[in-house]
Amino acid sequence: MAGIKLRQVTKKYGSLNVLNSIDLDVADGEFLTLVGPSGCGKSTTLRIIAGLETQTTGDVEIDGALVNEVRPSLRDLAMVFQSYALYPHLTVQQNLMTPLRLRDLDFWERLPLLGYLVPGRAGKMAKIKEEVHNVAAVLKIEPLLNRKPGQLSGGQRQRVALGRAMVRNPAAFLMDEPLSNLDASLRVHMRAELSELHRDLQSTFIYVTHDQAEALTMSDRIAVMMDGDLLQLGPPDEVYQNPNDIRVAEFIGSPKMNILPGEADDTGKVMCLGFELDQTLELATPGPVSVGLRPEHLTLQPTGTAECFSGTLSYKENLGSDVFLHLETEGCEQKVVLRVKPTEADYAQLGQTICYSAEPGKMIVFGVDGKRLGLSADHNQGQSD
Amino acid sequence: MGKSRAHYWFIGPAVALMLLLLIMPVFVAATLSMTDYSLGNSSFNWVGIENYEKLFSRRSYQKMFSASLTYVLVVVPISVALGLGSALLISSLRIGGELYKAVFFLPVMATLLAMAIVWEFALNPIVGVVNDVLRSGCDISWIHSMLSGSWLGYEPATSWYGAACIKKFPLWLGDKQYALGTIAFIGIWQGFGFNMVLYLAGLTSVPRELYQAAHMDGADSAWERFKLVTWPMLGPTNVFVITISSIRSFQVFDTVEALTSGGPSKSTYVMVYAMFEKGVKQNLLGIGSAITIVFLAFVLILTLVQVYFVNRRVHY
Repeated sequence: MAGIKLRQVTKKYGSLNVLNSIDLDVADGEFLTLVGPSGCGKSTTLRIIAGLETQTTGDVEIDGALVNEVRPSLRDLAMVFQSYALYPHLTVQQNLMTPLRLRDLDFWERLPLLGYLVPGRAGKMAKIKEEVHNVAAVLKIEPLLNRKPGQLSGGQRQRVALGRAMVRNPAAFLMDEPLSNLDASLRVHMRAELSELHRDLQSTFIYVTHDQAEALTMSDRIAVMMDGDLLQLGPPDEVYQNPNDIRVAEFIGSPKMNILPGEADDTGKVMCLGFELDQTLELATPGPVSVGLRPEHLTLQPTGTAECFSGTLSYKENLGSDVFLHLETEGCEQKVVLRVKPTEADYAQLGQTICYSAEPGKMIVFGVDGKRLGLSADHNQGQSD
Repeated sequence: MGKSRAHYWFIGPAVALMLLLLIMPVFVAATLSMTDYSLGNSSFNWVGIENYEKLFSRRSYQKMFSASLTYVLVVVPISVALGLGSALLISSLRIGGELYKAVFFLPVMATLLAMAIVWEFALNPIVGVVNDVLRSGCDISWIHSMLSGSWLGYEPATSWYGAACIKKFPLWLGDKQYALGTIAFIGIWQGFGFNMVLYLAGLTSVPRELYQAAHMDGADSAWERFKLVTWPMLGPTNVFVITISSIRSFQVFDTVEALTSGGPSKSTYVMVYAMFEKGVKQNLLGIGSAITIVFLAFVLILTLVQVYFVNRRVHY
């Protein structure tokens, strides 16, 4: 178990900046998820921590020790790859034994045939086998030990890859999109198992994914990355409810946050689709702004209500427990999505004009640069002005 | 119920051509190998297995088998090892890999017969560049001491190079001690570039994540990673390369025909050359066919070994 620190880590491939000064502090025993769209640099960050790639500038610390020059195997980390990267010619048992063999046996003991003659090898091998069996028991893959990876299903391979990471009892686990090759139901199941495993092992997990659902469900903290920048770092709730950047707001949450065009004046009032928001900007910055609203913070209003937004229903997405209504709203390029209960949406027909309003105090305003703008806490201030 | 016969028309041409061009000649050769037929004769006599008895009892044919097998056993391991080694080195290069690929592949593309003539000049004992270079080294003391081993304290005359300096350098193609080795050397020079290309293709199919996993698991040296990842993953390529190299080595002919004509004293009398000499030059179709059938059996055995034993162990 160990904490991991990144200090001003940058990575360049030629003239291409992949990472722009990443600072990250992973606490001991924490489950931290790096999430972002593909190409955002999250996998590169993970590889730099692992030592598989070298940062252009900056420092990596593991457990307080600088590891910039330390080779991957000596960093005491284990990695689970997206493709699992199991050795296809070895059985599951041999796959699990490999990290231990390479760590515990010396050069002579690893020699084929001759190795058997080295005194003390049998004892070490027995210990290795015992550890492998312990891990196999935890992951319930004991019946598979004599099979080769080619004879396993995706989920079983996933477990073996996890097992190969676990046998060494590493300081931290690095996982590079480990669930993305599994089918949907297995993925949901494995999420729970991984969380449970993290609780049992109480080890540091750094998990890379592009799936915001995985990030929200499993992590202690989420680090949202985009275009080589770490945009926001915080617990899932905070990142979901208080995104500090419009890119974070749009990336986290499904369906994604509605972004409506707005206009701020020099007193801090914000107008959005012809209505004035119930809060004002803390710092009045006149000009165009973006107003973010989560689909669950929009509510249907009876047709004909005066103070409401209206839009034409273009698509109704029924998920059983919820219904997503996609509305074409005048003055807004993107369709506005509402999350409502199925019973509420019964009457809605395609092509119908729907009235909806926003829950007070739930708006989030972003400036033209995409950064969050603070709103005054006082609900009434906007109206009294 | 009318059954369509269209399928006969689909497979017909292919089957007919295969029978005509591949299967029938083998049967004709097998039949001829039991006769004393010569081209131009109006009739022939059945001689049973007499031709085969000759093949396996006469000394000149024993030399033939030994020359062919020696050639294969020398050329295959060395050209495979060189091919793999150069492929590994080239794939680890950041720049210049293309140049090396082109250089090593050049002999594969060149016409072997033309190259053989070049080698004949190069290896000529009097005017050849090979012996010239070797001879000039005798006069330069550090080269002489290094190659003759005298810098290690050995008597120069006891080493091959030292002795050759005193007497003379070998007739590479005219000395039965050296002729087969020289032919094998040209075979390796000509063939390993092909193996290199096959290995380069094989190496690109090894997933990069496996190497990264090996790094994480503690395979720190290049040798460990080769053992853990590269070698097993190259299994199918290995089988193919070894089979192809063996078959190509069994087929060696051009260099022998151009440089030694099977001599001196049949030391380079390889099977395909024997086929050519008996069947074409001496018009002894019976014995020539018998050699062909035995040759075919060798190649068939190699292929079967590949299919039934090795292939099953390298596909995971």
